[in-house]
Amino acid sequence: MQAMGPIEKQLRRFWPFASLALILLIIVVVVDASGSILMQRTVADGLIKLIVVVGIYIFMGNSGVLSFGSIVYMMIGAYATAWMTLLPNLKRFTLPGLPGFLIEAQLDPFVSLILAALLAAAVAFVLALAIMRTNPIAISIATFAAMAMGYTIYNNWERVTLGTSSIIGLPMYVDMWVVFYWALVVMAIAYIYQISRFGLALRASREDEVAARAFGVNVYIQRVIAFTLSGFVVGIGGVLHGHFLGILTVNAFWIQLTFITLAMLVVGGQNSLAGAVVGVIVITAATEIFRQMEKGAEIGSTLIQLPLGVQEVILGVLMLAIMIFRPAGIMGGREIPWPFGPPKPIRGGRSRTLETGAGKARTGD
Amino acid sequence: MSEAATKGSNGELLEARDISVHFEGLAALDGLSVSLDRTEIFGLIGPNGSGKTTLVNVLTGFQKATAGRVTLSGRDITDWPPYRIGRAGLSRTFQAVRLFRDLSVLENLEIAGVGHGLSRRAAEKRAVDILEWMNFEHKAYDLADTLPYGDERRVGIGRALASAPQFVLLDEPAAGLTDAECDDIMQLIARIPADFGCGVLLIEHNMRVIMGVCGRIHVIESGQSVAEGPPGDIQSNPDVIRAYLGSKPQDA
Amino acid sequence: MTFVLQIAIDAISLGSMYSLTALGIGLIFGILRLINFAHGDFITIGAYALIVPAAAVVATPFIGTWPAFFLIPAIISIVIVIALLTEFIAFRPLRGANMASLLIASFAVSYVFQHIIILIYTGRPKAVNVGIELAQHIEFVGLRVPAIQLVAIGAAITLLGGLALFLKRTAYGVQMRAAAEDFETARLLGVRANTVIALAFAISGLLAAVVSLIFITQTGVLSFRMSLNLVIIAFISTVIGGMGSLFGAAAGGFLVGVMSTALQTVLPDDYKLTRDAFVFGFVILVLIFRPQGLIVTKAVRERV
Repeated sequence: MQAMGPIEKQLRRFWPFASLALILLIIVVVVDASGSILMQRTVADGLIKLIVVVGIYIFMGNSGVLSFGSIVYMMIGAYATAWMTLLPNLKRFTLPGLPGFLIEAQLDPFVSLILAALLAAAVAFVLALAIMRTNPIAISIATFAAMAMGYTIYNNWERVTLGTSSIIGLPMYVDMWVVFYWALVVMAIAYIYQISRFGLALRASREDEVAARAFGVNVYIQRVIAFTLSGFVVGIGGVLHGHFLGILTVNAFWIQLTFITLAMLVVGGQNSLAGAVVGVIVITAATEIFRQMEKGAEIGSTLIQLPLGVQEVILGVLMLAIMIFRPAGIMGGREIPWPFGPPKPIRGGRSRTLETGAGKARTGD
Repeated sequence: MSEAATKGSNGELLEARDISVHFEGLAALDGLSVSLDRTEIFGLIGPNGSGKTTLVNVLTGFQKATAGRVTLSGRDITDWPPYRIGRAGLSRTFQAVRLFRDLSVLENLEIAGVGHGLSRRAAEKRAVDILEWMNFEHKAYDLADTLPYGDERRVGIGRALASAPQFVLLDEPAAGLTDAECDDIMQLIARIPADFGCGVLLIEHNMRVIMGVCGRIHVIESGQSVAEGPPGDIQSNPDVIRAYLGSKPQDA
Repeated sequence: MTFVLQIAIDAISLGSMYSLTALGIGLIFGILRLINFAHGDFITIGAYALIVPAAAVVATPFIGTWPAFFLIPAIISIVIVIALLTEFIAFRPLRGANMASLLIASFAVSYVFQHIIILIYTGRPKAVNVGIELAQHIEFVGLRVPAIQLVAIGAAITLLGGLALFLKRTAYGVQMRAAAEDFETARLLGVRANTVIALAFAISGLLAAVVSLIFITQTGVLSFRMSLNLVIIAFISTVIGGMGSLFGAAAGGFLVGVMSTALQTVLPDDYKLTRDAFVFGFVILVLIFRPQGLIVTKAVRERV
């Protein structure tokens, strides 16, 4: 590709990530400058959802297989970080079922985040090993059944999760900026994965599983890799959620959150990272606008005020409308295009390297 | 066996011996044997439903053979899953083309390299080389979905070559193409063995294409072998003519 | 012996509820590949229709005071209309969309329904007494069982039997079975999509209405998310029975009902509450080892 300089090529390559990072940066800076604590909390909450949605996207977007039970990895991450960061004295009384080393542990938040996310990834990995051989519909349902199973267990595992009661006292170190940094990390992970050969191979299987298999793609392994990574990222979202609110309830990690996060992804467009991010921004913004309108807003000289509860109905109808009129989502499966024209055609001049290495073909699996 | 064997292909053969496939008692293939080396273009023809695609599916692992063995350069690949056969150096196109529709032409080719174990960078390099080889580099960044039909078929062939195969199986590459497009495809196919060191198994209904590029042709009917030989012999073979009488060849 | 019989009746009546719900979900899933979460809201709406639409804390019965002879047809009609409207407004424009879009759409529909209920009735749970006489225990083959359990079993037998006859004997029934197993082929063979789908939604509405009446009689509490668990378990049942097989869905419902009751009996006290976790675990095993379900339909293999 002689027509493009190496720098331009790299810029083009990472533009889809950089452009999204830029959009988020602008939002965060503006909201920070506004000085509104409420707005900052809204944005922080939105960014936590963004991390979860990007995590779901890593598997669902690249594989095309509906992941219906991802919120459980958020729950696993959130509770794991609670186990590792709560005061030992508190744990001794409220969570006596924890093993001794966990009761005594009071880890650094960063270490705790990584370990908690790794636990979520490990659970996702084990499930993926078991289910990724079967057909896509069965996989979707199995991820859901696994979530329901995890939810039921955590809801009744009093001695470790407090069951239906809330765990309180998580160190609240998370604010808008902390979530923002993690959102950048997570988006970078998702983007690097998607342009890696693993991501490319999985995308091929999304487009045509039969052809992908014919060209050497081990669809099973690729799905396992993506699902594990997805569990890791969603786990990070759970950890941040816990330390942002300082309080955890099993009930929060159930159908409602599953719906909102999946809706964000599908409304934005599940086949691109930009879709995941834009979906979160649009739905968060819409929710916020309706919430403001419930409080009442002056437009011109008339006060417009929505009856309480109408916002959810409108939101639901809006999502339905997007599903109907733009089934590929707002971004239609595309990343944000490089603003300075399409890639230039490849020019020749390279020495031919077409000969196949006779008999040197890889055969490992 | 053939003249190619004497050219010193080091016994690197794609060989199917006594392949049978039965679907609920019906024999789609019945004791069929074919063999080709890396220097030749080998044609496989037969009336509709004679078992050509079934054979391709057996060779590439998508269909289990009821009996018989497939070997690739001496290794028995009969029971391997498709992705492993693909990596071992046997590549294919599909009758239905099956491009990765929502990905670019370049990415379509890259996937074949990546699936073969190349890094993304190496796969891209190889993909670019192949696009240049087919004079198709100007459409590298087009989505596969937006290509006209004739171009889809060419990209399908390019993708099959991008995995650095020892053998490539082309399943009706000229189906539905205009005469001019057929000529292009024929030129492309004819250059494969010399430029890639890769044998070609060509399935085609279009007799002009088959006769124009194949060194040897194998004729099957109802899953059984009817004849094998160079184009001239096949055209005058009474068994072949009889096999085609009831169901005349379709010129696309 | 009495103990075992008692458990058996518990199991079968629970299974009846699961089975009727599973059939409503399985019917739609088989034809449209749509996991209809809104089915739960059909059930919820059927129950809410019994009271006067108002935000008041104390529910005032409305249709709920009518004699059964009018009450039952009224509720059934309301739910069928709701189901048909849902299909027409929300799902028909999404024909042919992928599974994720359909699922999200059904979530969205469910979300809208739930918040409309909140708008009208508020989100507070409300007590409602319907069919009090059915909640009482009656003597039955030497056992004292709540009459509603027998009603549930009776309703399931009647509806399943009726549906089986409909599917086997009538032209529409045969078309519907064909559509549930392979919609595309069925369409090619001349099955009229809109008719069959509308009919499927009407039947799922009918099933939901019956379930909602039994359910509200059993629990006596209205809440906008009252049917969530039921729907999840029922959906799981269709998977165990075999997606796309209507018989499988019904059988799966009974199987899960029996399994849950057995677990409830066998599990030590500490684990009783997690019995559903075992059911979900069982589903995962079924999906891994028999993804076509325990009651097999045909295995579809993609042609290369």
